Amino acid sequence: MVNGGYTGKILRVDLTKGDFKVESLPTEWVLKYIGGDGFAARLLYDEVPARTDPLSPENKLLIATGPITGTLWPMSGRTVFVSKAAQTGIWGESHVGGFLGPELKYAGYDMLVVEGRSENPVHISIHDGDLELIDATPHWGMRTDEVTAAMRKHHNDPDVQVGAIGPAGEQLVRFASVIVNNARAAGRTGMGAVLGSKNVKTISIRGHGSVEVAEHEEFFKLAKKAHQKVRQNPQAREMGKWGTWILTAVKQEIGELPTFNHRTGVFSGWESLSGEYIRPRFTVSDRACFGCSLGCKKMNYIPDGPYAGTLEEGPEYEGLMAFGSLLGIDDYPTTLKANQICNKYGMDIISVGSTIAFAMECYENGIIDDSDTGGVPLEWGNTESAIKILQMIASREGFGDILAEGSKIASEKIGKGSEAYAIHVKGLEVSGQDGRTHRSIGLSHATSARGADHLRSLVVVDQLGYEKVAAERWGVDKLPEILNPYTEQYKATAVVETENTYCIRDTLIVCWYSVSWPPVFWMSDFAEMLPLATGIDAFGDVTTLVEIGERQLNLKRLFNAREGITRKDDQLPKRFTHEPMPEGPGKGQVVDLESLLDDYYRLRGWDPETGLPTKETLRRLSLE
Amino acid sequence: MPSRLSVDYTKCTGCRICELACSAKNEGRFQPSIARLKIVKYDDLGLDIPHVCSPCEEAPCVEICPVYAMRQDPISKMTYLDEDKCILCKSCVGVCVNGVILLDTVRMRIIKCDHCDGDPECAKVCPTGAIHYGSISKLTTIERHAKIGTYLDEIKRVAEKSTGEA
Repeated sequence: MVNGGYTGKILRVDLTKGDFKVESLPTEWVLKYIGGDGFAARLLYDEVPARTDPLSPENKLLIATGPITGTLWPMSGRTVFVSKAAQTGIWGESHVGGFLGPELKYAGYDMLVVEGRSENPVHISIHDGDLELIDATPHWGMRTDEVTAAMRKHHNDPDVQVGAIGPAGEQLVRFASVIVNNARAAGRTGMGAVLGSKNVKTISIRGHGSVEVAEHEEFFKLAKKAHQKVRQNPQAREMGKWGTWILTAVKQEIGELPTFNHRTGVFSGWESLSGEYIRPRFTVSDRACFGCSLGCKKMNYIPDGPYAGTLEEGPEYEGLMAFGSLLGIDDYPTTLKANQICNKYGMDIISVGSTIAFAMECYENGIIDDSDTGGVPLEWGNTESAIKILQMIASREGFGDILAEGSKIASEKIGKGSEAYAIHVKGLEVSGQDGRTHRSIGLSHATSARGADHLRSLVVVDQLGYEKVAAERWGVDKLPEILNPYTEQYKATAVVETENTYCIRDTLIVCWYSVSWPPVFWMSDFAEMLPLATGIDAFGDVTTLVEIGERQLNLKRLFNAREGITRKDDQLPKRFTHEPMPEGPGKGQVVDLESLLDDYYRLRGWDPETGLPTKETLRRLSLE
Repeated sequence: MPSRLSVDYTKCTGCRICELACSAKNEGRFQPSIARLKIVKYDDLGLDIPHVCSPCEEAPCVEICPVYAMRQDPISKMTYLDEDKCILCKSCVGVCVNGVILLDTVRMRIIKCDHCDGDPECAKVCPTGAIHYGSISKLTTIERHAKIGTYLDEIKRVAEKSTGEA
């Protein structure tokens, strides 16, 4: 019997044979993993063996949803792309907002598994029970917005939800993304390259069915109450107005706005990258993903200047950072233009921005010069060069071909000591945070399954000093040390507890915002809601949820361990551990990573030498 | 003034909470495809426009119905369907200018907004006030049209000027 919230079906498409298959969702997965990342971790671990080439037909790409995807629970419209990552060769996942996940549920499937490789370019088209592979030869080479419009026209239905790759995905740019409905990006780890390697141009979905929860009236009432909580939260209201741009000013104030390839955390030109500057000048409308009452997406328009006429959503804070302060650019229109190119050509703005920052620092230090770059002067703050090299990367033209491999591989190819400027962990470029001014994120970057990740365990409570929340979650006895961003003390405790909760967040799947920041919902809210949604009383117990979260996390670790990941790979770039922060409130700070790792492994029940789960831990989580 | 459903698309974020709540209340499940209203999304322009069964001055669904199953309140201008009289000819589905009258092919019935008997769920759950239930003035409607008109004109102006490069 299928539990409330689930459709009970997994849809598989075998591109090599060109056929579809519908399977039942294994019932034991529900109790052990709930959904989303949990299901995906189980399936990927079981079906993609060690040393599989991420761009080979043997790799698989999964789209997973959770039990409340497609319901009224706030911000539950998200979905996750999971695959062995094209960029890093280890566990890869990328969550995306928009409308794709709910549509998959309405079409009747909890998960989509894409296997094999098509001989010719195809579109995967899922319309309820009508499943087909459509010839995509005429659309190969199209930008994501063009092909999205083309698919809607093909089906004569504007409500078809489209996940598309752009020219970058076709060219197997390592950090190519999947773009959902023009502007929502499954950005990180190179999901677009995996689809590109399988010759899949789009996944388009339309569903007319329903999601039915176990206790409809009770769930409906609780979901409406939860929306009220979001709407009445003052921080959530601010977030709705300014979007993630609200972060620029905060980051500058605490000296953690990554600038000049993470060299410093202070950027003199921060004001023109802040929400207060951007919104009144450029924002034309507020938008939201499915079922979200916060609405952090902004449509922006550049009326004049060199990028006049650019109309595009975003960029988020990370995009402002990656094409703003990180490159020394204090010009918002440039970041919007870069975001537009990333959306239309299908690239991860964090990784591509960081890779350009890497190249700029190499250029500054004479490791590369104009003869390498094809005459593009890669100077800090040069907006024209940033846009030019971005376009070259998207089409793998000239020097762009080397940078399209990401900063890790590019630095190995360039050599000459350029490795010092490749700011990545396990091959994934570091996002817009800095462990020197926020110790817990240093640990997050080092230990997250997909590399330098800010989304799986970023603790905000310590950095922003929420005393009440910290006392509730981690105990009064750990105050005030746990709230001091400049010490290693108790940071592993905060990271572990936060990471467990985020694992549950990623099984449901709900958005970062309202869970991670602002702190509106936490484990007890999920424990109250999940039994009503699924009819499974065990989910009403927070300790059960913690165990399910831990199981998911350990399974991802096992997947990476199979690829040879151990403690020696849980490292930070030397910039964060050996170069003291040069200025700002965190001046002189560095990360003592080894002590953080010791604490973290101990709390996780992992071996301190290898950093891998011990037998007892695996037995406790029934993962032997 | 009697109460009516009205829409301010400059406030709509396209979150479709209204569609979810509508189906949850009227059908007992989450199924936006049979919601009694519809958010039409223009992702390329960043526009989201709610289509609701709002008062039509001249209601085509009433005029076309061959069996007088659809009637219009002379004061509020809201329209109502009498399911007992309906013969499922689907004329109203095709003629509705807002596209919010649907045929439920599973249970074979016409799906049509009844304004939740004067307490519409969509207006209650809308987080931005884009869907409103109450009296409306003509002036604000004109202002909203003017705003969206200016926006579309500007996009057209730039599109004609630009080279068409991304």
